[in-house]
Amino acid sequence: MVTTADFNGTVKPDWCPACGNFAQLSALKIVLPELGIEPHNTVVVSGIGCSSNLPEFIKAYGFHGLHGRALPVASAVKWANPKLTVIAYGGDGDGFFEGTQHFYHTAKRNVDITYIVSDNQIFGLTTGQASPTSEIGFKSKTTPYGNIEETTNPLTFGLAAGATFVARGFSGDPKHLQEIIKRGIQHKGFSFIDVMSPCVTFNKLNTYDYFRKRVYKYEAKDLTDFAAAYKVSEEWGDRIPIGIFYEKSARSYIDMDPVAGNASMMEIETVKLSEKSVEEFL
Amino acid sequence: MTSEEVIVRIGGAAGEGVQSAGSVVAKSFSRTGLYAMTYNYYQDIVRGGQSWYQVRASHNKVRNQGDGLDVLIALNIDALVRHTNPEINEGGASPLNGIAIFDTALTGFQKYDNIQYCAVPLAEIAGRHSKVSLVKNTVAIGAAMASIGMPFDVVGDVIRDTFGGKGDVAEQNVSAAKEGFEYFNDHFKKLDKKLKFNSNKKYLLGGGEAIGLGAVNGGLKMYIGYPMTPASSALHYISSHAKDFNLFVKVPEDEISAINMAIGANYAGLRAMTGSSGGGFSLMVEALGMAGMLEIPLVVYEAQRSGPSTGLPTKTEQGDLNLVLGASQGDFPRIVLAPRNVYDTFLLTREAMNLAEKYQTPVIVMSDLYLAEHLETVDKFDFNFKIDHGLRAQDNAKNFKRYEYTANGISPRAIPGQAGLMHNEDSDEHSETGDVVSDAETDPKLRIAIMDKRMRKLDTYVKEMPPTDTYMLGDADYAIVQWGSTQGVVEEAVDILRSRGIKAGAVEVNRVFPLNPDIGKLLKNRKKIIVVESNYTGQFNRLLRSEFLVTTSLVKKYDGEAFYPGALAEELEQEIKR
Repeated sequence: MVTTADFNGTVKPDWCPACGNFAQLSALKIVLPELGIEPHNTVVVSGIGCSSNLPEFIKAYGFHGLHGRALPVASAVKWANPKLTVIAYGGDGDGFFEGTQHFYHTAKRNVDITYIVSDNQIFGLTTGQASPTSEIGFKSKTTPYGNIEETTNPLTFGLAAGATFVARGFSGDPKHLQEIIKRGIQHKGFSFIDVMSPCVTFNKLNTYDYFRKRVYKYEAKDLTDFAAAYKVSEEWGDRIPIGIFYEKSARSYIDMDPVAGNASMMEIETVKLSEKSVEEFL
Repeated sequence: MTSEEVIVRIGGAAGEGVQSAGSVVAKSFSRTGLYAMTYNYYQDIVRGGQSWYQVRASHNKVRNQGDGLDVLIALNIDALVRHTNPEINEGGASPLNGIAIFDTALTGFQKYDNIQYCAVPLAEIAGRHSKVSLVKNTVAIGAAMASIGMPFDVVGDVIRDTFGGKGDVAEQNVSAAKEGFEYFNDHFKKLDKKLKFNSNKKYLLGGGEAIGLGAVNGGLKMYIGYPMTPASSALHYISSHAKDFNLFVKVPEDEISAINMAIGANYAGLRAMTGSSGGGFSLMVEALGMAGMLEIPLVVYEAQRSGPSTGLPTKTEQGDLNLVLGASQGDFPRIVLAPRNVYDTFLLTREAMNLAEKYQTPVIVMSDLYLAEHLETVDKFDFNFKIDHGLRAQDNAKNFKRYEYTANGISPRAIPGQAGLMHNEDSDEHSETGDVVSDAETDPKLRIAIMDKRMRKLDTYVKEMPPTDTYMLGDADYAIVQWGSTQGVVEEAVDILRSRGIKAGAVEVNRVFPLNPDIGKLLKNRKKIIVVESNYTGQFNRLLRSEFLVTTSLVKKYDGEAFYPGALAEELEQEIKR
């Protein structure tokens, strides 16, 4: 039987002590075996940023690619071999700045992967610059007079794009986070989980304390109610909801493909060309 | 031009059916046992402007669009003036010396003695067969085919196929063409040509289709592209045959996504490819280097058009070599191939699929608008090809190291889903096990070891390269070096020079990087080495000089049009005599 130990990587995480990323890493290592998914059938694809170093620290097939580009890689891995469990992992700068167009279109395509964003509302690896989810007024190396750009709301964006599973977790509540990630992986289609994951070194505003005072567990009456999901996604301030906001069942992109919808591309026969294949040119 | 070949040109505005008329003419030749090649001169507009389509056909292999013009179909007055007036130079194309076919309504133009003016009531005849005005083109095709003595049945069948079989539309077009054919025979004199038509059909296809066929023959399963002229001809062919060839085809949000998807699929063990023109390729640059770093097989089709920037979207050039050679930061092994004709495109694309997987690195197949969009006859396809998936680790292999330091630089791959081979593939510099070496501690020795290992793959490839092709080079005083699509025109220019007693020969490069060291020997003891290419700075010329430390001169063209054999021979002769 597959266990958490099977997912233990050989490289020690290089994140700062108490970094939110530890919670996401252990959540994956706990949840994947609970679902009976084996390390060799797991692919973790990431972009670039502190959080994106995660594939180095988990024993699975890891792909540590380019800033903002985890989703196209992850999509194609899944399309190539639907038997694999594919997790895309990255940060808010990676996903909501450089990777925005991929986020939108991957959600719309309902690619059957799980996209977990470690959202610390700052660029950490590059030592502290404002990110798309930094709050207005937030001071950083690049916004010394305070951030003046409107804050991205990844949840409403994901919903508007057509994600069929939208949730928010908090690194400071690992049990709850594990449950959300488990449901996200089980969901057939594109699951998007934004995890509020404090950067203990560079973000002195959105700390564990900041979230502990504000988060509450949201329980949707009807997970398929888009308007309700959108409304709760907009809530931010004194009270910050965490939980699964939206889930609906829909066909994923590959199911509708005239070729890949009928058979796994890995197993589909390679066509042998013959004179008949070029008859149209005669 | 010999009496055993003919050049037909159709001139008109975009939207007047120039291209479809041209392909009917071309197919009529390829179906009657002749070699043929087409050239499409068009602008970046959907309606209006001036475009033309030329077909050259011969008993002998047709290597380029050719000099001379025997038959002109002028679909409007502008086309009639433009292609008969010796003063107007359409990027090097010859004015008419032969038969002009046009509607009787066109009047008031200057006439030349070397032209037989054949006014045919095209619209009037068309009106008797159909209400569709474009049917007048079909009438003109009938007249043109009569002028060169082609049997009507062949033309009729091609028209029938073009218009989708035996329906009313097809038959209306066939009967309209027949009346045009008979009208010509009743009123005018045929061209003095000795063309013999037979029933040995040849294949007629373009470089874009050859990319698709080569890739599929090479085991393609997934094509991810983004529309951009002239790479779209491959995308269209592949898309329309997805079901026939068991392909997953996708146009995603941008070229960055396209290449990352192709990399993801190849990582997962599925042969995938992406393609674009220079603009799209520019967006792919960062990911190209990632494929090199992660050692993931990747074939990228790069179809050049005139740059810089959006450039001349419908015109040809070989101006992307520096881009392709230098694409992405740092050094990593890459293989660059540049097919020289349609069949070579087929062969090299399928080979690229194997090379990418064998050497686990990006392979770029460079074409250009000229090659991607013209049609060319092919006698026969040899589909016999063995797919080589390269070095793969067995499940649960002991001591598996994804980037193991090997003598030839090639390390065993593991595909997600394989038991016991889990590892990380990282765009950060890494050790032979895939662990990142840049974060916690940087190790200069390790960096050298892994860098050397990756780059060794190129040394291995160079040893396995086939010899470079040559043409009439044996006793040549003058070596003309070409790369990619200029092969055919350079060969004909060499023939012209030889006919003038100048001992010229050609070195025909389709493996552009790394260059085969045998080229150095081929260039030895020549009186002059002249590089021919279509770009401003002589990008290949610089590469050749730096690789072989030779003195060369350059004959270049960057007006957006292809080289023509006569003009090229003149330029080469001047260069030789300089």
